[in-house]
Amino acid sequence: MGTLKDILSPFSVWKQVLKEPVTIKDPLNRAGSDRYRGFHQNEIDRCIGCGTCEAICENEAIDMVGVASIASKDGDSGLRPMVDYGRCCWCALCVDVCTTGSLKLSNVYTWVDTDPDNFRFIPGIDKKPWDNAEKGYVKPDNYELYPLERVSMDHLHPEERDHSFIEIMKGYSDEEALIEADRCVSCGICTATCPAHMGIPEYIKAIRNKDVEEGLRIMYETNPLPEICGRICTHKCETVCSLGHRGDPISIRWLKRYIADQVPESAYADVLRQDSVEQNDKKIAIIGAGPAGLSAAYYLRQLGYQVKIYEKLQAAGGMMRYGIPEYRLPYDQIDKDVNYILSQGVDIQYNVEVGKDISFSDLHKQYNAVYVATGLHQGRSTRIPGTDHKSVYQAIELLRKITNNEEIEVAEKIVVIGGGNVAMDITRSLARMQKEKYGKVQIIATSLEAEGKMPADLEEIVEAREENATINPGWGPREILIENDKIKGLKVVKCLDVFDAEGRFNPSFDESEEAFFEADMVVESIGQGADLGFIAPEFMEQLEKDHRGRIMVDPLTYQSTLPWLFVGGDIIEGPDVIHGVANGHKAAKGIDLFLNK
Amino acid sequence: MLENIISELEKQFQLEAVDHNSSDLVFLTIDRDHAVMAIDLLKWKFGYKHFVLLTAVDFLEEGKFQLTYILNNPDTKTDIGVRVRIDREDANMVSAHHLWPTVATYQRELKEMFGIDFPGSPRLNDPFILEGWEGTPPYRRDFDTKAFAASFYHQREGRTTNDPATYMKEKLYPNE
Repeated sequence: MGTLKDILSPFSVWKQVLKEPVTIKDPLNRAGSDRYRGFHQNEIDRCIGCGTCEAICENEAIDMVGVASIASKDGDSGLRPMVDYGRCCWCALCVDVCTTGSLKLSNVYTWVDTDPDNFRFIPGIDKKPWDNAEKGYVKPDNYELYPLERVSMDHLHPEERDHSFIEIMKGYSDEEALIEADRCVSCGICTATCPAHMGIPEYIKAIRNKDVEEGLRIMYETNPLPEICGRICTHKCETVCSLGHRGDPISIRWLKRYIADQVPESAYADVLRQDSVEQNDKKIAIIGAGPAGLSAAYYLRQLGYQVKIYEKLQAAGGMMRYGIPEYRLPYDQIDKDVNYILSQGVDIQYNVEVGKDISFSDLHKQYNAVYVATGLHQGRSTRIPGTDHKSVYQAIELLRKITNNEEIEVAEKIVVIGGGNVAMDITRSLARMQKEKYGKVQIIATSLEAEGKMPADLEEIVEAREENATINPGWGPREILIENDKIKGLKVVKCLDVFDAEGRFNPSFDESEEAFFEADMVVESIGQGADLGFIAPEFMEQLEKDHRGRIMVDPLTYQSTLPWLFVGGDIIEGPDVIHGVANGHKAAKGIDLFLNK
Repeated sequence: MLENIISELEKQFQLEAVDHNSSDLVFLTIDRDHAVMAIDLLKWKFGYKHFVLLTAVDFLEEGKFQLTYILNNPDTKTDIGVRVRIDREDANMVSAHHLWPTVATYQRELKEMFGIDFPGSPRLNDPFILEGWEGTPPYRRDFDTKAFAASFYHQREGRTTNDPATYMKEKLYPNE
């Protein structure tokens, strides 16, 4: 039973009815301290939508949402964090983990609104009074939630490698791989940029779980050449890695190699075993056993097709074997990947040249579909005076002969024309052979492109110089000087620019600035073209081509305008291994689509 | 000044660790059975008559809780922290409520948030802030905050999120 007071006291509040409310918006209008953790600020152009802030948030206060004004592109998901301040506890772990450093907390902590839904917004997109506040919390410099530096890989030093073709990079140890894998924040930004869209965060996670077999299975879903790609992939993924914004990108390529290296060839069948594939009697001919042809063969076998590869040379691998030197990609590692693909029931015939040993129209008659992936094996010439001399070579031919252990000319002084990776490959190969033969290296590689603009990977240029090759870029070749039928050297003039104002290849020169590179032998390495002479004219005529004469294909299926003919590999895009792997896989799916219509 | 107190204490107690933070703050680690006696002495003999706070840290991996009593001497303007490491299993500690009545409130909080028992402490089992808590005390590190929040709280309607890799596939290469 209540007392009289209990009954009467509610009425006493009526005396307050005309008074000013006690609760007011911001009584003192006092600023937060300098490093107070208030509402978020996000530099929208710096943020890449990696979602690491969402992942670390213990309160699930952050959602990654699409923003109309931001498109997804390489290195930027197009998503931005939306914060639910009903859940945020202002711990600032999101700021500490932010891969780009775009996220901060302002020192503004008071904001009054009557609608609870207004406390859920996208910092930086939804404009707020504290967007330009200068004070607040930023990640302190003295600590990181993950190491910014990658684990370096043990490798042969220049004096250990400059006279041999032994592989330079030694691979990660278990411990090193674990440390490097642990740096990955698993954002998955890399996957879109990888031409094969490999499950990169997933296989890196497998390393963290010490389950390399699972890692291998994940890799084979999108790439049946992991030993090879783990060594020489152009690793576009690493250029967009979220960790690259403040530190070193994850060493994705070396981690891929680590997984493949851990699983011995003899265990592949067990590790990658899958439920038996339903076989069909449809036959596919593949021309060329390079990355694209091998990839297509592997995935076509997964779909139950009967596959036969026709290979002109005596071993499989294409440019991976006959272009890339052994010190970057040892032959036994190529064999490991190739053998597993062939073990899946792929028929391969070596030393058979389509157009000569078997006609293209016979293939059309005998097979339900044909996949052409013959690559770019025809070296282009500068056509400057003197290129018809017998001691002027094409890089690609020399590299092929080196692989085949054929005798090649190794002169005491050599000039290489070209600044791409193939030019570096032949320069470094010949430098090794010079060192062996003469005890010293006298080789100059020169390119139109100036220092810093050469198309070769920077590490190739650096390593070539470490091996005492001279890289002297920024010159246009004019003439190979010949005296008494002997090469004296290469005359060059300064190249001012490779491209014109419209961005077309149209080099300009300063003819007054000349130089002369002494040489007994010249190697041209200015690019390669496709040799599609084996495609009989009656078929060639029916193929749609672009203004440069390249065969047009459907970008998803790699089907040409002849429905049974699919084209891929370096002929269509790249040139590099991973594009070949990707488009070989797509062509396999395209062929499957075509034959199941 | 603090050195004299430490050497005095060392005559009577085994100090497991002495950590000097600054000239006016030192942390002493004392075993469970003697810590409250040492605090008693610090209060009545050495002038640390102001009890500042009592708190705990969960060293899950080591199977220990660390209790820290902060005491202040208003005359010398110095602080002494007394640290005690107790077993996490069947966690209990000698009560110090007889020295300062407010200690009982801290002990009540630690009982509720960490599940540390202080036998004899007044109103120890009265709810502190949680009102009817069951299961793992929430400040223990093996308490799953996220699972608790998901099961206990109403979820805001209309929230959706996107995985960056999946979203990029939808936007950039949906048909591959």
